[in-house]
Amino acid sequence: MNQTKLKLKFFDVMDYDKEALYLSEMHQRGWKLDHITFPCFYHFVACDPDHIRYQLDYNKDGIENKAEYTQMFKDCGWEYLFDFVGYSYFRKPEEASDMEEIFCDDDSRMDMIKRIFRGRILPMILLFFLALIPVMWVGIHEAIVNQESCIALLVEFGIIDILYVSIIGRFIVKYLDFKRKLGR
Amino acid sequence: MDAHIRKVYVPMTETGFYILLCLQEANHGYGIVQKVKELTDGEINLTPGTMYGSLSKMEKDGLISFLQERDKRKIYQITELGKEVLTVECKRIDRLYKNRKELGI
Repeated sequence: MNQTKLKLKFFDVMDYDKEALYLSEMHQRGWKLDHITFPCFYHFVACDPDHIRYQLDYNKDGIENKAEYTQMFKDCGWEYLFDFVGYSYFRKPEEASDMEEIFCDDDSRMDMIKRIFRGRILPMILLFFLALIPVMWVGIHEAIVNQESCIALLVEFGIIDILYVSIIGRFIVKYLDFKRKLGR
Repeated sequence: MDAHIRKVYVPMTETGFYILLCLQEANHGYGIVQKVKELTDGEINLTPGTMYGSLSKMEKDGLISFLQERDKRKIYQITELGKEVLTVECKRIDRLYKNRKELGI
């Protein structure tokens, strides 16, 4: 049986380039990505070390029209692996001096960032305002009446709130950073 | 041509320009990639993430239209609006070319 390796690794929603680089490095060390399980367990299978480029796309329309979408990548020499939480994973053998990516201009990179915003960040912002803040509010009131039992709950929601704010905040920082790079 | 089309496509990206240029004849995404490689002696290599995103966006904006599917490949063609945008872009490129010649480059 093939040797396998399981790694727990967290990448932010905007860290798709870092994630791709990590997967390439693992492949170069003889561990090829097999699948990912929730929340962020990376399952690898032993292989011959090789220079393989990994790339992530975020395209809901592509996932809905999977046959045509993956065919386009296949035609261009990319192997389609699977989808995980909205991202599609691809890989391709790296040719010498070739740093090919699945995007060839900044406008389409920006389009992907906008798709991530609509698909991942906007629902978080809505959930944050519609659910987490009201729950916090009720929690505070409860805590005044029935002190100790609610403190634990309050702390829990406080942690989720902080996590949400930090993810949304990091998205905004990276978005503005990229926008500045584009010079518009 | 409304304000949205003008804002997004004038001026347009090299990818957008080559897509419209090639789709004067019906073709699919990978067909465009190959044709552009040939036209530019391999200098421009359009990539699948960019191509898929651009084709969907241009179809949604009505610059190109979906004709049929063959072997899991979507075949598109330029629309009247697409031709209008291409003409505006060609005029802009002609002006750039004319001006650079006038200034001796």
